[in-house]
Order: sequence, then C-alpha cells, then structure tokens
Amino acid sequence: MKMNKTLLIILAFFVAALALNFVMGGFAFDMSLLMYAKPTRWQALISPYYYAVLVILGINIVLSVSLALLNGFTGLFTMGHAGFMAIGAYTSASIVMFLLPTAPFFVQMLVGSLAAGTIAALIGFLIGVSSLRLNGDYLGMVTLGFSEIIRIVLLNIDAVGGARGMTDIPQYTNLGSVMLLAVIVVIVIKRIRDGRLGRAMLAIKENEMAANMMGINPLSIKVKAFVISSFIAGVAGSFFAHSEGYLSTQTFTFVKSFEVIAMNVIGGLGSLSGAILGAGILTVLPEALRKVQDITGIDLRMIIYALTMILIMILRPQGLMGNREWKWLSSK
Amino acid sequence: MAFLEIDNMSLEFGGVKACQNVTMKLEPGILYGLIGPNGAGKSTIFNVLTGIYPPTHGDVKLSGESLVGKKPFEIAQKGIGRTFQNIRLFKELTVLENVMSAFYSSSHTSIVDMVFETKKFHAEEEEVRIKSMELLKVMGIEDLALVPAGGLPYGKQRKLEIARALGLNPKLLLLDEPAAGLNPTETRELTDLIRKIQKERNITVLLIEHDMGLVMKICEKIYVLVQGQLVCEGTADIVQNDKRVIEAYLGVDE
Repeated sequence: MKMNKTLLIILAFFVAALALNFVMGGFAFDMSLLMYAKPTRWQALISPYYYAVLVILGINIVLSVSLALLNGFTGLFTMGHAGFMAIGAYTSASIVMFLLPTAPFFVQMLVGSLAAGTIAALIGFLIGVSSLRLNGDYLGMVTLGFSEIIRIVLLNIDAVGGARGMTDIPQYTNLGSVMLLAVIVVIVIKRIRDGRLGRAMLAIKENEMAANMMGINPLSIKVKAFVISSFIAGVAGSFFAHSEGYLSTQTFTFVKSFEVIAMNVIGGLGSLSGAILGAGILTVLPEALRKVQDITGIDLRMIIYALTMILIMILRPQGLMGNREWKWLSSK
Repeated sequence: MAFLEIDNMSLEFGGVKACQNVTMKLEPGILYGLIGPNGAGKSTIFNVLTGIYPPTHGDVKLSGESLVGKKPFEIAQKGIGRTFQNIRLFKELTVLENVMSAFYSSSHTSIVDMVFETKKFHAEEEEVRIKSMELLKVMGIEDLALVPAGGLPYGKQRKLEIARALGLNPKLLLLDEPAAGLNPTETRELTDLIRKIQKERNITVLLIEHDMGLVMKICEKIYVLVQGQLVCEGTADIVQNDKRVIEAYLGVDE
C-alpha cells in the first residue's frame, strides 16, 4: 500500500513533466530515460532549454518545500534560504572538484550532496541557536543578514573563484535525479508534518504560550525545523551547482530568498501542496511567457508576470491552496 | 509536606505589587477554589505556578522541588496542566490533534521513525490517538474529533482546553475561569465534569472562577485573594461568612 502510494507520486511527477514538455513544445518524453545517468542522453531527446527549466523546477520544488517547513508549519519567518543553498552549492562543488575529481559520478553525487546538506545544517544550527530567540520580522531581518554574510564571505574566498565564480563543475545532475530528490523531500516533509514533531511545530505556530504549557520546548522544536530545512536547502544547492556547472554568488542574493518565499505565499502558507504549486508557477510562468513575447513582438513578459502575481495576491491573499492539501499530501 | 507549596511568594512589576506574601499549601487529590475580585492577581498566581513569571520573592515547590527558575515547558512536563482565561487553542489543528499535541513530551518517536513510518511510529501514534479519543469522550466532544478547533462553539472550546490539559497526565490541574461565557446549562454540565474528572483521576485541581454557585458547590477548600493578598481560606461556609471577603465583594457598610 505504502509502496503503491510512493510509485503513484513518482508517476504523477512524470506525467506532470510530460505535460509540461508537451505544452512547451518539446520533444517526446521517454520514461526509460530515468535509467541513463548522463545528461547528454536526455538532452538528445528534450531540447536543452526545456530540460534546464525542468531541472530548475525540481530544485525550486525542493527549496520551496523545505522553506514551507519553517515558514508554513513552524511559523518562522526567515529570509535567508538562499544562504543555505549557497553553502550547499559551494560545499558540494569544492568537495567534488578538489577532493573527488576522478571518482565515479554517483560517488561524487552522494558525497557531494550529503556533505552539502550536513555543512548547511551545521551552519543552520549555529544561526538558529543564536537567532531563534527573536520572533516575527526580527527573525526575518537577522536571517537575511546572515544569508548576505554567507554570500559575501563566499565572494571573498579565492579558492572558490571569488567574484569570477566557480567554473567547470562536473555536471552530473539530471532530470531523473532532481525529480527523485523532489519526491523524496516532499514525502519526508509530509511525514515529519504528520508525526509528533509536525504537530509540535504547528502548535508553536498557532500559539507558542499554549505549546509551552503542553510541555513542548519551543526553542528545541524551532532549532530542529531550522536544521532540517537548511539541510534540505543545502542538498538543493548541491544539485543546483552540478546542473549548470557554473556558480556565482550573484545567484544567491536575497532576491533568491524572496523568490522562494513568494513560492510559499502564492501557493498558500502552511500548505505543502501550495509550496509545490507555487514553485511550479514561479518557475514555469516566466518561461512560458517567452512565447507570448514571440507572438506580440513586444516584451510584455515581466509585465504579465508581475500582474499575475499581483492578481493572485488580491484575489486569493491566502494563497492558491490556502490551508488545503491535495489528497495525496493530506494528513488523513 | 504539602503536594504544592507556595511559600511567601511575592510578584512585583516595578511598583505594582501583583501578589504579596501569598502562602498556599495544596494537598493531593483535593479540589481547591481561588476567588477574588477582578484584578486581584488570581491569574498571576497561575502564571507564576506555570513559570511564565518568576516570583520576585519566595518559593514555589511541587512535591518538595522548587519550580523557581524552571522554564514553562519543564514545569508542564513535571505535571502541571492548565487552561487559559482567554482560550488558547491551536485553532488550525483538529480537535483530536490539539489533544494529541499534549502527548509530545511523553512520546518518543524520533525523526527517523517518522520519516520511515516504522512500526514504533505507527504503534505510538495509534496509542496516542486512542488515549486522546478517550479524553475527548470524557469531555463529550469525541464526535467533533476531526473538526478544526477554531470552528468549535465556545463552550466546546472550553471543554477541549481541559481535554488537552489532561493529555499531559497532570498531577495538578489549573483551571482559569472554565465557566466564563457559558450558559447555566453548560455551567452545570461542566461543574459535574470537573468534579468527576478530579475524583476519577485523583488529581489536585485549583480553580479560578467568578461563578460563585459553581465554586461553593464543588470546591473543598477556597482561597480568597484581594489586591494580591490572601485574606481568607477555608470551606465554603467559612469563606461566605468572613468579614473581609464580604467587604471585598460588597464594600463596607458606612
């Protein structure tokens, strides 16, 4: 039964990917592609552009869902997700390039992403312990500050390219592995939410005082949420680093953090389905609108994009999903 | 030695003396009442007992162990459950989840158990679910288990708060105006429930209430607090005939 559900979810992702591919005018999408490791095989069948969009979509889903654990479930407003992603990306790229340059790709992948997650979680723990006594907007400001500190520090380390950025990173991330990661992360977060830890997180979000009176230690739960979330953001960073083969600190400015927050808000804060939907919309919409530009001949892309965002905020301020979940993600 | 000892406790906020030299000794298994006019400091005593405010002077001891300096959640884990005057439920969580959340500190599944949904996870979830349902049954709201707590009518929210506090398996239950805002029928129902729970579970209950009918009917011993000071303690008869209590509630005959 459990196995079936998991398979169903994976299947759903591929159907979604297929539909997306079709809508965007790509080539036929072959399920057996999962078996191939080398991105070149994939790219022979889907045009590199659509392929890249789908990879980014997977990474954004992972980021958005990991932020949902903090923002949506625990009620911690953080603005520093890009920082943890940056740590993951640079850690993984450095380890693979400097320590494991000749190892087989799956060893690089495993060691790289696990190290990325661990280091990000460690730094997440330190930042969490030092800043989680703050609440609300103050926490947002502090995490924003930390994320910029991380970025500036990385910018000034010459070994990882400094301002030039890091080039020639092995590109082993492929669509299959990214989608698999996304599915795993979604299931993990869903299960944490439905366990006693998730209940404690939601309790703290709803009423910290009452949670205290129920014997729940708010600080400990918040730190746990912070560590789990930054671990996942670090892994997402690792996959990102090895998808494009090039890293620049410019990618990890606060704009990236806001983008992930926007995904959560558009989809619906507190809804896992919303986080996925939001990631989908914010990734696909700007790309899909490129077609509009071809038709109209003038660049309406960003105008339509911005208007869509504004309309969603006006018409559905609680987000597209509100508090609801898709059936396969609901807790019952 | 008393089960809960409040020893010469004072709490001051700057110049405001919220509680002055309060001394109370609660014996196990007895239903106590705490009454007094508005602003007398009744809820403040609850907040000191649960660790929200540290007392300025004096000590609070549970079974001989001082609670001063302990964090609120640590005190809750030691077995002091409470409800709030202004209801504080987890509104977006269902009624059942509200009660289940109180079992957090007494359950042990790790993150790994949750992620892999191990046997231990299922066993413990099921156990907590059954226990929570029992508590809901005791309060008579088991048919609303899957409704979001925020959507309950007021009286049922009060009952849910008590059910949630019982989820801690408390030795001492602090009820802050459980009958506030209830109609006479609901109040009567709640009165019987409180007494039944207290007797069946043999817990100590300290009850703040303005509904004197309720207090006089069920409380075995009553403390009267006026302007932060205890002025009288004893059974309903003693309290009702005490000069200072009448003075505080009705004023002085000039």
